[in-house]
Amino acid sequence: MSETGDPAPNEGPAEGADAATTERRVRREIETGRWDGVRGAALALVGVGIVARRPGLVLLGAVGVGYVLYAGVGEAPAATLDVTRTASDATPEPGDEVTVTVRARNVGDAPLPDLRLVDGVPPGLEVVDGPARVATALRPGATVAFEYAARASRGEHEWEAATAITRNPSGSRERTTAVDPVDPARIVCTPDLAAGGDLPLRGLTTRSHGRMPTDVGGAGVEFHATREYRRGDPLKRVDWNRRARTGELATVELREERAATVVLLVDARETAYAASDPAAETAVEASVGAAGQAFRALLDGGDRVGIAALGPVDCWLAPGAGTAHAARGRETLATDPALAPTPSGDRFYRSLWLRRFRRRLPADAQVLFFTPLIDDAAASIARRIDAHGHLVTVLSPDVTASGTTGERLVGLERRERLRDLRSTGVRAIEWGEESFPVAVARATSRWSR
Amino acid sequence: MVRPLVALGVAAVAVGFVAVIDRGVAAALDPSTTVVTLIGALGVAQGLRYANARRNRRRQAADPGDPERRAPASVPGADLDERIERATGPARGGHRTRRQIRDRVRELAVAAVVRGRNVSVETADRLVETGDWTADATAAAFLARRSSYPVRVRIRAVVSGRSRYEFGLRAAVDAIDRLDEEGSEAER
Repeated sequence: MSETGDPAPNEGPAEGADAATTERRVRREIETGRWDGVRGAALALVGVGIVARRPGLVLLGAVGVGYVLYAGVGEAPAATLDVTRTASDATPEPGDEVTVTVRARNVGDAPLPDLRLVDGVPPGLEVVDGPARVATALRPGATVAFEYAARASRGEHEWEAATAITRNPSGSRERTTAVDPVDPARIVCTPDLAAGGDLPLRGLTTRSHGRMPTDVGGAGVEFHATREYRRGDPLKRVDWNRRARTGELATVELREERAATVVLLVDARETAYAASDPAAETAVEASVGAAGQAFRALLDGGDRVGIAALGPVDCWLAPGAGTAHAARGRETLATDPALAPTPSGDRFYRSLWLRRFRRRLPADAQVLFFTPLIDDAAASIARRIDAHGHLVTVLSPDVTASGTTGERLVGLERRERLRDLRSTGVRAIEWGEESFPVAVARATSRWSR
Repeated sequence: MVRPLVALGVAAVAVGFVAVIDRGVAAALDPSTTVVTLIGALGVAQGLRYANARRNRRRQAADPGDPERRAPASVPGADLDERIERATGPARGGHRTRRQIRDRVRELAVAAVVRGRNVSVETADRLVETGDWTADATAAAFLARRSSYPVRVRIRAVVSGRSRYEFGLRAAVDAIDRLDEEGSEAER
């Protein structure tokens, strides 16, 4: 923290230019009541002094009267501040520390005898070094600067208005002002997409060749069936052993491998912003991280992948392939407002959302649905998408806690929902402590048994 | 009542000011012990009244919050705990909440019994209704139609000043959890 005087006295025009860079809104003005009761104490002292005939007490009461006058003097001054805010890195990696410097200058004519300035750190960021606030007195033209470090996390974070609290010298009156620089700092943090191993996909798929084994016979690697020889079948697929044994010509059919169309659906309703501990990572973060791994793994495998969010804010990236699509997917997962690190607060209309989602979803697409499954709505949506002929795999980060009765009840209900889904033929994977790829590998080995 | 008092006060202050200038008025006032003591007592009473009024007023100050911390995530079930707390508290009402939560627990219990005991849903329903689904009498009493809590629980509820419902709910969730674990072990 440093306070410097204004070195140049003739900065009149610059002051006017500065004033346009900060917007100020008075939020409230109150009487703090800090000196309430002094009046009563003074009067009582004088009274006791008179009754007891003790001039000393009367004199002491007069001191109290002095305080009463002191408390009444002066209004809370207007926070005539010009604030600038700079972040050391506008595009940090997740986990990086970003140093934010805030400078506030008193551009008014009156001194601010008691100023507290609290910066509007974005709700998705955590300050790791130093408080994001300062308490000082500022004479006209003086500047105060302070800095703090915030740990970057996924998403696009824009700073909110800083809060300035000014008081009169005695602290009896107080004015709260929102001080908003016209150019608030903003950081964009885009995590790299790390491939999370092989993703278990179900059934079929598109007409393009790819890596998904299908139940369609044709050209491929794995044996599927044999059938009667037809003219034109390639010679290398003729079953010569059988020809030697029985004298009949037969053709071996191999499993055709095709590409799948997959839509990664991330639950971003307000209920999904839940975690087993208030300070822990939310289910939305876990889902987005896992979706990123799935996105990369599927694209690498030659599948067409899209992204959608289940939430009040619309988010849709149509299935596609290629490098440009990979970059778009990475950006969508990192910075789309629908997948923001904190809930938007808008209302969510389920049937409207479902109608729009079905209209957009390609007929042959399957859905990987990332949801914490802590309410019935998520399970019901999974079943409804499944019922419309799209194969659904539910991937569920476990964010339930097991402390209180209510938490345990919700945990049991979630487990029951997973069982229900599995019994209706929807594949479901959950992961908690272990990483997402480990859970997928475990589940895949169970399915193929 | 207030107006005459205010008029009296204004008059008294005016007389006081006049007395400062005109000594004749001051001499007219009776400076006897009784009058002075009376004025002093009045001062003490008023002072105490002011001080008392201040005690009832809340001091206000702007609260800038805690912007340094990340917005806290909600813990699944925390709102349910609050609802249970309210429904079992001393305040009246909360009957509907209690019934809703009991229904949710019953559904879980039936599902757990179906899996754990390998019986049909109807049988499981009946077992839960009669309280024969678990060895824990408190859990059984929580969901059973006609069964009462054990005396031990009743006494504990009275001593701790909490509702029997809470004890029953916790016992039922414990019992379901145990049944679930037995079931998943059997699956393995």
